Amino acid sequence: MNLRALSFRNISAVYIFVVMFVVFSIWIPDRFLQIGVWRSILDAEALTGLAALAALIPLVTGSLNLAIGAQVGFTAILSAWLLAKAGLPILVQLPLVLVVGALIGWVTAVVITRLRVEPIVATLAMSSILLAGMAWVSGSQQILDLGPSYRTLATTQWAGVTVPVYILFAVALVSWYVLERTPVGRRMYASGFNPDSARLAGVGVARIQTGALMAGGAIAALAGALLTSRLNAGDPTVGPSFLLPALTAVFLGSTQFRGGRFNVWGTLVAMYVLAVGIKGLQLGGSPRWVNDLFYGVALILAVALSQWETRGRMLWRGRRRSGEPEQPAEAEPKVTTPAGHS
Amino acid sequence: MSAEISRGDPLLRVTSLVKDFPGLRALDDVSLEVRGGEVVAVLGHNGSGKSTLVKVLAGRYAADGGTVELPASDGEEAAELHFIHQDLALVGALTAVENLNLIGSARLRPHDSRAERRRAVELVSRFGDAFDVTVPVASLTPGQRAIVAIARALDGWTHPRNVLVLDEPTESLHGAEVEVLFSAVRRLAVDGAGVMFISHRLDEVFALADRVVVLRDGRVVAAEPVDGLDHDRLVELITGATSAQIEAHQPQDVRSTDPVLSVRGLRGGAIEHLDLDLHPGEVVGVAGVLGSGREAVPSLLFGAVRSQAGSFTVDGAVVLAPTPATSIRRNVAFVPGDRARHGSTAQMSARENLTLPQMRTVLGAGGAINTRRERTEAERRLAAYDVRPHRTEQRFGLFSGGNQQKIVLARWLRDDPLVLLLDEPTQGVDIGAKTTIYEAVGQAAANGTAVLVSSSDTKELLRLCDRVLVLRDGRLAAELAGATLTEHRLLVEGYGLTPDHPESQNQGPS
Repeated sequence: MNLRALSFRNISAVYIFVVMFVVFSIWIPDRFLQIGVWRSILDAEALTGLAALAALIPLVTGSLNLAIGAQVGFTAILSAWLLAKAGLPILVQLPLVLVVGALIGWVTAVVITRLRVEPIVATLAMSSILLAGMAWVSGSQQILDLGPSYRTLATTQWAGVTVPVYILFAVALVSWYVLERTPVGRRMYASGFNPDSARLAGVGVARIQTGALMAGGAIAALAGALLTSRLNAGDPTVGPSFLLPALTAVFLGSTQFRGGRFNVWGTLVAMYVLAVGIKGLQLGGSPRWVNDLFYGVALILAVALSQWETRGRMLWRGRRRSGEPEQPAEAEPKVTTPAGHS
Repeated sequence: MSAEISRGDPLLRVTSLVKDFPGLRALDDVSLEVRGGEVVAVLGHNGSGKSTLVKVLAGRYAADGGTVELPASDGEEAAELHFIHQDLALVGALTAVENLNLIGSARLRPHDSRAERRRAVELVSRFGDAFDVTVPVASLTPGQRAIVAIARALDGWTHPRNVLVLDEPTESLHGAEVEVLFSAVRRLAVDGAGVMFISHRLDEVFALADRVVVLRDGRVVAAEPVDGLDHDRLVELITGATSAQIEAHQPQDVRSTDPVLSVRGLRGGAIEHLDLDLHPGEVVGVAGVLGSGREAVPSLLFGAVRSQAGSFTVDGAVVLAPTPATSIRRNVAFVPGDRARHGSTAQMSARENLTLPQMRTVLGAGGAINTRRERTEAERRLAAYDVRPHRTEQRFGLFSGGNQQKIVLARWLRDDPLVLLLDEPTQGVDIGAKTTIYEAVGQAAANGTAVLVSSSDTKELLRLCDRVLVLRDGRLAAELAGATLTEHRLLVEGYGLTPDHPESQNQGPS
């Protein structure tokens, strides 16, 4: 652990957390410093966390997925429909929902890799299609009567912490291992950074991207199934609101720990820091629209910070390289996403 | 070009320029002048300060001391500085027409597209054959892109006594295009312009420059007329040491062995038809002017570009047309010409770039990457190819051009490849790195790798190759080896000149 690992640039979210913690603790100590509050943050954000990982994995390979919210929403409705209308048992319904989630990812991947539609456009269109599917399946009504046992999936507590939190950390652990410790993960990053050169290094870029979108789709479906379980109903209005927090967490997360690379732990830390900020504001009596304002501002700051991160790091490294004052041959960082993802 | 021409007044005067980066003085008391009518070459290693100098002149860096003046002489307007940057500063998604009209077109009146197109064709055709000016420049060849950039820089040229700064403009150009550019530059100089010319290629310096300014470690170590210098002396000035004469290659004939890679009837890209055999331990060159298909050969053999026809035999087995993945599996390696776009991942570390094509040897338990083993291997590789700085965790994009190329080469030589395909292996690389790369290629061949080098640098082909295939119009024009392998023959065959008129092959009007 050297000084750089603790620098503001590397772990800014942790410092922001400390500042927020101090501020809220002084401002509203009686409401903020309650164990229940922290448990509820942990639980409430677990599904957002899954949605964020579902967005993160394809984004590593270069596909920005704007359909994440719709994917969560559609699979949530599908879960409810399979239970209430089709009458399937949970042990059949749950795997089916995950398979459908992966299939949605596969269709998106076909559109991106075969039809060569830009990911941002392809996923925006997929989002619209899924919203239509959601309205069709649900008739724009809540689906109720899911049976007595489904609710326990999301509400059971172990050691005071709900099941979705454990699921989130299990998924995060696997994602982290694959992304950072295996050749597949290395190839995923390579595909996202520079698909042309990855292909020439023998990486099957299209296959990698397809796999990432399918994995992301399955994780989004898991979030959808848990969402329905938590609400004990299929609600067609909730899913889309996962998009912004998830993407904000992913982008802010890319500025943490790994110097501009999208990464799992950065994403989760960023997400919980944002959640604590929102919770504090809510407890302090802010109106609900502050949520949207907060995430919007945070998303801009997150991406701006990641730009500054890439550029700043270049300068910083440039100064340290004693032998070569000349400008590195690296291209200027791109505008839309950190670390040259495009 | 006699020194007589440099009678002109200084158009650009740089005095005691200093540029500091923390911990390092990149420019140290640099003074130089560019006079009307002269071409001044600025030479130096990567890291000598020449790029910094250009960036200070262009205003990208602020100097920490010293002055840059454009003195106005007797009633005339002061000269303007015009630049052609190394990266050409073109907008890839726009067409040549649009790129040519980028500057000074911030008006809202409708433009006459037909007239613009006509003018664009006129501008680019001054530099050789016209090409399609209505497609995005990203889809043009590097040579054509350079022509667009040069046409644009000269387009706004109203004042004859301006100063043109060319920052390694010929890196992506081929023989004929270089000559076209040089004659354009000479014409400007004759009209009284001053030219500052940054290059790695010593031949070009002798062909074009009147005066040479050599930078080393941020200082001017020589500023002399080119007439009094020869190749060896320049290398000495640049490196600061008496360099051993680059030894001529000792060609060997290994064609008694079975070829490891053969292809019959290869077609694809600019290649119409090509038969080719590569034998273990030999270095085969591919030469040819722009449009000959020279640059397509390594890509087609590797599968970077899918071939349209051709039957491939690798290591005795007939195989389907290769793809990058199958080639890597067969231990065929490819170092592409466009390092940044195709050869590397700038955002990843040197270590990650080194192991990307083949991670088998760095895996530990459970199929995970054993980071310690990977780092050790990367360290050994960086040391073997003298990569500086010796940092496995530094981002690839932060290494200098020469060191990047060493890393790319080290990546592909990890497994003692069966076949090594190289496209312009020393493009944009300084002399020191060049030597390392040549040695590595020679070593690979000595270990039994069959090497194919596609290059526009004839000296490089002579230095490296046992035999050279000269292509013209997508077909084999000649195969040169032994006594027939000379620079002269390479040029003659490349341009398709009859050997009876060797004087028409180069030396523009001067």
